[in-house]
Order: sequence, then C-alpha cells, then structure tokens
Amino acid sequence: MNVLRWCKIVFGAAAVFFLLAPLVAILPLAFTDSVFLNYPVPGYSTRWFEELLTAEVWRRSIVNSLIIGCGTTVLATVLGTVGALGLRGTRLSPVFAFIKTIFLLPMVVPAVVLGVGMQLMFARYGLANSYLGVIIAHTVVGVPFVVVNVLTVLQGSDRRLEQAAASLGAAPHVVFRKITLPLALPGIVSGAVFAFATSLDEVVLTLFVAGPNQRTLARQMFSTIRENISPAIAAAAFVFIVGTMLIAIVFKLSMKAAQRRQEQA
Amino acid sequence: MNRGRFRTQVTSLALVAPLLLFLIVFFALPLFTMMKSAVSDPIAANVLPATASALSGWDRESPPSAALQAAFVTDLKQIEDDQLFGDLVRRLNSAKSGFRTLMPKTRTAAKEAGEPLDLVALDKRWADNGYWQVIGVAASSTITDRNLLAALDLGRDASGEVAALPTGASANRAILLRTFSMALAVTVACVLIGLPFAMIAASVEGWKRQLLLGAVLLPLWTSLLVRTAAWFILLQDNGLINSTLMFLGLTTEPLALIFNRVGVIIAMTHVLLPFMVLPVFSVLAGIPKNLMPAAASLGAHPVQAFLTVLLPLSLRGVISGSLLVFMSALGYYITPALIGGAKDQMISSVIAYYATGAANWGMAGALGLVLLTATLLLYVVYLRLSAERELRP
Amino acid sequence: MADSFIRFKDVSKSFGALTVVEGLNLDIEQGEFISLLGPSGSGKTTILMMLAGFESPTTGAVWARGKRIDLLPPHKRNMGVVFQNYALFPHMTVSENVAFPLRMRRLGRAETADRVTRALDMVQLGSFADRRPSQLSGGQQQRVALARALIFEPEVVLMDEPLGALDKQLREQMQLDIRALHRRLGLTVVFVTHDQTEALTMSDRIAVFNHGKVEQTGSPAEIYDHPSTRFVAEFIGETNLVRGSVETVEGTTGRIRLENGGTLSVEASGRLHAGKDVCLSIRPERVTLGTGPDNSFSARISDVVYHGDHLRLLVQGNEQSFIIKTDRSRRPPSVGDNIMISFLPTDCWVIDA
Repeated sequence: MNVLRWCKIVFGAAAVFFLLAPLVAILPLAFTDSVFLNYPVPGYSTRWFEELLTAEVWRRSIVNSLIIGCGTTVLATVLGTVGALGLRGTRLSPVFAFIKTIFLLPMVVPAVVLGVGMQLMFARYGLANSYLGVIIAHTVVGVPFVVVNVLTVLQGSDRRLEQAAASLGAAPHVVFRKITLPLALPGIVSGAVFAFATSLDEVVLTLFVAGPNQRTLARQMFSTIRENISPAIAAAAFVFIVGTMLIAIVFKLSMKAAQRRQEQA
Repeated sequence: MNRGRFRTQVTSLALVAPLLLFLIVFFALPLFTMMKSAVSDPIAANVLPATASALSGWDRESPPSAALQAAFVTDLKQIEDDQLFGDLVRRLNSAKSGFRTLMPKTRTAAKEAGEPLDLVALDKRWADNGYWQVIGVAASSTITDRNLLAALDLGRDASGEVAALPTGASANRAILLRTFSMALAVTVACVLIGLPFAMIAASVEGWKRQLLLGAVLLPLWTSLLVRTAAWFILLQDNGLINSTLMFLGLTTEPLALIFNRVGVIIAMTHVLLPFMVLPVFSVLAGIPKNLMPAAASLGAHPVQAFLTVLLPLSLRGVISGSLLVFMSALGYYITPALIGGAKDQMISSVIAYYATGAANWGMAGALGLVLLTATLLLYVVYLRLSAERELRP
Repeated sequence: MADSFIRFKDVSKSFGALTVVEGLNLDIEQGEFISLLGPSGSGKTTILMMLAGFESPTTGAVWARGKRIDLLPPHKRNMGVVFQNYALFPHMTVSENVAFPLRMRRLGRAETADRVTRALDMVQLGSFADRRPSQLSGGQQQRVALARALIFEPEVVLMDEPLGALDKQLREQMQLDIRALHRRLGLTVVFVTHDQTEALTMSDRIAVFNHGKVEQTGSPAEIYDHPSTRFVAEFIGETNLVRGSVETVEGTTGRIRLENGGTLSVEASGRLHAGKDVCLSIRPERVTLGTGPDNSFSARISDVVYHGDHLRLLVQGNEQSFIIKTDRSRRPPSVGDNIMISFLPTDCWVIDA
C-alpha cells in the first residue's frame, strides 16, 4: 500500500515537472544580457524586451498580431454566437447535428491542408497578402471555440427561464436581450478569449496566406527560431506565458464572480 | 404546435446561415480547391485542342498518324503566350524527361517551317512512341490521377497500368510511413504518461487534484509556439538538459536531442499530453465512487479490482484520447519543422514544401488529400465513440 | 468474546475533528434482521462501512464469530454489500455482474454459470442476463445488486439505504421480497435506513442512532410503544409530547402536574417519583374523541387533514396542541368545532425529561 502511494507521488511529481518545467525554464532567459540562450545566465538586463519594442520587425509583428487578433475576435465571436444560438434547442434534428459537425470541423482539419487550399483560393479572389485574408483565415479556425463555448453555456442553462420571461409578458426580442444574452455571456466571453488566443498563436495559415506586411508575432517567432534564434524569443515567450496566466486568472475570477452573482440572484 | 415548431426551425436556420455560409466559402471551398488541384490537369488539353480531338483515332501502340502529327504542329504554332507554353513543357517533362529541350526546338521549327513539318527528321526522339503516349495521356483529359498515385509512390506505366514507381523516384510512401510511426510513438508515449497521470488525478482530491489538472491545463493554454521554443532552447547541445546531465556527470558529451526524432517526439508528447489526460480524467471522474468498494466487498483483491473494473472503464477515455492525439499528431507541422531534422519531417512539412517551395500544387493537393482523408476517418471513429457514450450514460 | 455473532466493542470513528461514531457497543445475532435507523449524519452508514471494511475504527474493535476483523481488508471479509445506488459495473452485463464474486473466488465455469442462472431466477431476472445495467429500470438494477451480493452465500448481508432511489410502490414490494429472502435463506441482514416505516416493517430489531450514538435498541414494537428517549419518540412515528412534573404517586398510578396548570393521571410502575420532571408521549391513534373516565379535555379543532383511510385532526386546548388520528366512521368534525378529547392513563408513556 505504501509502495503504491510512493509510486503515485513520484510519478505525479515527475509528470508535473515534465509539463511545467519547460515553461518555467524559458522565463529567466528572457532577462539575459548575453546574446546566447544558455544557462547559467551571465547577467540580467531588459535589453531583449527593449529589442521587442524597438526593433522594427518585432514592433511591426506585435502591432499586426493585435490588429489581426482583434479583427478575428470580433468576426468569430459574432458569427459563432449567432450560429450557436441557432443550434440551440434543435439537438435532435439530424440536419442541425450535421451543421454542428461542420461548425466544429475546422478544429480537426490539419492546418497545412487548409493553408494550401486557402493560398490557392485567396490568390484567385485577391485576398492573398491582405489583413482581411489573414483575419478570415484565423476566424475559420477560431470560430469553433466560440460555438463550443456558447453552446455549452446555453445547453447548461434552463430553457424554462426564457419561458418564464415570456409568460411574464416579455416580447421575444426582450427575452433575447434580457434573458438569453446575459445567460450566454460567460460562454461568449470565454469563446472570444479562445478566438483571440487562437489568432495570436496561429502560424501555419499565416505562413500560407499572409504577405510580408501581415507578419504576426507568432510568425516572426517561427522564423526567428528557424533562422537565427536569439533571446528575443525568450522575451516574447515570457510575454506570452505571463499574458496567458493573467488571462486565465482574470477569466477564472470573472467566472467565479458571475457564478456568485447568479447564485445570489 | 406544428406551426410554432416550423417557426423555430426557420429562426434557427436563419441564425445558423451566416456562419454556415462563411464556412462554406472560406473553409469548404479552399479544401475543395485543394482537392481539385490534386486531380486537375487542364493545361495540355487547353493548349493542344486540335491534338486532343485527333487523339480519338489513335490506338497508342502504333506510331502516331500523320493527321495527329499535323494537329500537334498546328497547336504548337498557335501558342502565343510563353508562360502558358512553359507550363505545358513543365507538365510534359514531369512525366518524361526530354520534353524540356524537345518542345522549344519543335515550337521554333513549327513557327518557321511550312505546313508539312517532318517531326522525326527534326528530332529523332519523335520516333519514340513514349513521347507521343505522354502527350496522349496529358491532352486527352483535364483530370488526372497521377498526383494521387504519386502520393503513394505509384504511377502508370506505358500501357496505363498502375505500377510502383522505381525506387528513388519518390519517397512519399516512406514519408507517410514515417508520419504514421511518429504519430504512433507520440500516442503511445501519451498513453504511458497520461493514463497513470489521469488515474492519480482522479484518485486524489482538493489542492492535489487542482495542481495536477492545472499542470495539464496551463500548457494547453500556453502558445504552441512558446512551448516549441522552450523545447528548442532546452534540447540544444548546450541547453539546460545537456548541461544538467553533464554537470551531474551522467554524460561527458552532449546528447543529440535536437534536430532528430527523439527531440520531436519529446516535444510533441509534451504538446499533446493534455488531449490524452483530459478525456481519460473525465471518464474516470464519471465513474461512481462506490464501484471499487463494491468490487472489494465481492471479494476482489485491489489488483483484481483495478484490472477488472477501473482499467476497462477507463479504456473508453484512453481510446478517445488516443484518437485525438494520433489525429492531431498526423497533421503536425510546427514542432517537427522547428525541432526535427531533415529526416524527421512529417507529411505536413512535405505538403508545405510542395506548395510554397516547389509550387507543385498537384502534389501538394494530392498529399493533402491523403492527410485529410486519414484525419477525417479518425474523426468519424472518434465521433462514433463519443456519441455512443452519450447514449449510454 | 465468542458469544455474539458480530460485536462492536467500544468503537469510535473520527474524521479529523469530527466524531461520527462514539463509543458504540452493539451485538448482532446470527440470522437476525437488524436495522440501523437514524437521520442523515447520525453515523449509521459509517458503522456499515466499518463492518464491510471500507473504514477502520479510530478506537475499539469489531469482532465476527469471535475473531477480530477490523484489520481485515474488505475483499477477505466475505460479506455481501448492497450499495446505495447499487454500484453495478456499467461495462459488464447483468450475468457478468452477478458472476463477478464467483470469478474472484475462481469457481469453475460450469458451476458459475449454474449459480448465476439460479441467482437471477431467484430475483426473477432470468431473461435479462445479457442486458447492461443501464438498460434496466431502477427496481431491476436493485434486484441485480441483491443477486450479486447473495450469490457467494455470505453469512451477512449489509444494505446501505438500498431502496432509497425507488418509488413508493416498488419500494414496498422490494421490502416484502427482501424479508422473504431473509427468512428463506436464514441470512443475517444489517440494514441501514433513515425511513422509520421501512425499519418498523422489515426488522427483527432496530438500533436508533443520533449524533453517532445508539439511542435505543429493541424490537419494532418496543421502539414504537416504549421509546426510551424523546428523540426516539419523535423520530419513530408521530407523537404528542406533554411536559410536567410528578405530583403524587399511589401504587402504579401517578398524577402529573402540567406546565399549563392542568393535571393528568398516568399508569406506569416504577418509573414515577414524586417531584420528578417528566415528558409524556401519547400516540395520536390513542387519543379518542369524547369524554373518557380519565384525562378528558376540551379543545378546539384548528385543522382537519384527509388521509384516505383516516383523518388527522389538529386540536388546540389550553396552551397545548394535539394531533389526533381518527377513523372515518363517525360524522367528520369541522374546523372551529369545540370537542372533548381523552386518553387512558395506560396510553401515556413516561420518558425522563
């Protein structure tokens, strides 16, 4: 019995180490003052963060990522939320089950395959090398997350709340605005966060459809690692990891707050 | 009642329509374009219309008739666009080398000479029936299966039968095999780590469970690129892993961890592990708490209870997780591209090479079709399994 | 130590600072049907879990047939357990579930098949052998769980609220079935429930628990008619509690001065001492309408509740409210009527206040 317990502890600790150590190990390297990514770190400075903000390629790519990320978030959230509202309550019909499968399919199709197709098609319709093209490509892979998140929340919420509102005299559009939308809000918010994160992290489609002017931060990191790796990568990774944790914490807190509000109500 | 139902259906359809339309145009259409490029081969038929219609009278075995030869010369004369001609030459040369020099020579001669041009006198290669057969195949149809066959290292021989390409002519089968074996290795690694990990997470409670699940979720939330970059830095010859091993005296020279298979599999396992842990954990968390006590009360030794109750019940999660991991691993591009060496490139890298490097859309499309088919098949199996689970709570 | 079939000796169980079972001494005889009855959180399930081996006592010992068993792992205790929500294995068919304990005991294939058939016939589920548990109704799942717990012929069967998830009619049917099985197979059954009616109808003996301690053990009739504490009187069935102090004692008859000033006569030998504060329990079905030889009061009806086979009257008289169960033969009284109620001195059960 005790042997089993020790096995569990050792294995669990090793697995947690395997999962988290790489993320932790990269953080101090962001503050190195050398041009090499080696331990031990010879001295600490913020020169690589300055490089991120001042070097034209990095600055440009950060701006691009923000533009494209925001565009994707808006487009994916609107399309995904409306689509999820349409899928709600029609769970049994095979037509809608099929539509739902189509909505989720972009998560499954390998990015390179989709990228080849998009490159061919976008070139034909003048979308290649344009912000709109990249935003559309990112929306395609980001929208399933919005659909899933909104749908989960909607299916978890009680349909009778809306029936109650209607019985109390609310017109359909009022029911939608005052009941359905507030109920779906946590799902919409988490879907939007996912869509933004997906856009931020997307490399493959960007490789195929973006021109040099739409180079995103992820794309810039990809070619930096590939061609000449520098501690600027660690600095960018630091921004990503800390940003992720902040988003996760804010997200968790706001979900808790929303839950508390609903429980109190 | 029926009318109300009809109305909700119409409303639902109206709500679904924008996204459906968006995905048809920007998701389905690109995939369709890619598939079409795999089989489309319109160049010869478009540029050589007279030849195409003259082909019907030729049995492909005997030497080509004078009429066919004349039609070919006529077509050549009419080609004005040099780029189009270049595409045609490239198409024909890809099937049989020799066209690259033969075609410009013949075109120049056709433009200069009078009507009856003796092709064999111009170049004795025209006496070789093989060249005419290539033109015949290319011009007779606007679609082709040669890219698809080539994706599997197959081709059509002179008589049109499907046959294996000579070894060394293409390495696609080896790449497919490598892709499958690497995806399988990653899946096995994920099962070996993920299954016990999920079991441990399900067996503890409170902060311990939070820690274990957090350790899985945090990497899942973190950028794939960041995780790959982290492994890139760690796995280098003078990276943290090697310097630690050398500091501890476990090795005197750095182990080769990057730009090889080991590195790719380590990094991909790290990236895909959450997709194994989460389904297994959710299955385990759904198992009623009293099943293991029940087994014990019925006389099962803890090991027996584990083997007969817990393991079979978690199997469903392991299968779902394995399908997810395997499916994702098949199409992986970034991690092998950054961490792997030339010999560790998976099918996605080859597709990307054909598309962006070689501008060979036909091959990119054909290999893409193979990858897409494999992925979708696995996804269908996965959906079946999860639908069954919903039916059987 | 060997005189009792199962014996809890000074058993206590704590989870951290929380003590759920305290100083338990309980003997269970071979072949008896004993119910552990109590509200939720009274420790009854913990006692069952200690008997089955899923919990071990913090202090004290558990004995079975004169051997200490509290250190024995559950799979070696040979006790059949029917769990709350049944704990059927979802990935096995009905017959595989029932065969499980025999497989664990490495019985031959032929004998296993034979016994599984007989066990399923016993619970009338012979035709469901190849179904999965999820394809059965609640009552059928319950019977599979029963067959699985009985097939390896354990001497003791432990049941943890086994009928809690069933609807009323099915529950009553299963109560009869389980009783019949108990008699036919000569089993020792330890039955945990919070439903007093279930305990009263099924058991040979009941142990009433509250806050981790035994309040009273005894036959259903003893428990119902002669509750030893207020908790038992109120928890088992319905009752009217009246407080007062003993004024005079003559032989077996005592006069009780009530808090509201009135007096009652009570028949109870040896339990009455002048000046002592007492609590009287009078069952609603013992209170009659009309004047009687003793203990008559005037009261006013504040509610009449129709129960099909009987009526329940809520009456208010002189700062004391009474519940009365009455049959429907007489003309039904109505709310607001002033009536007389009475009860016999022998129907007042005295509990120490």
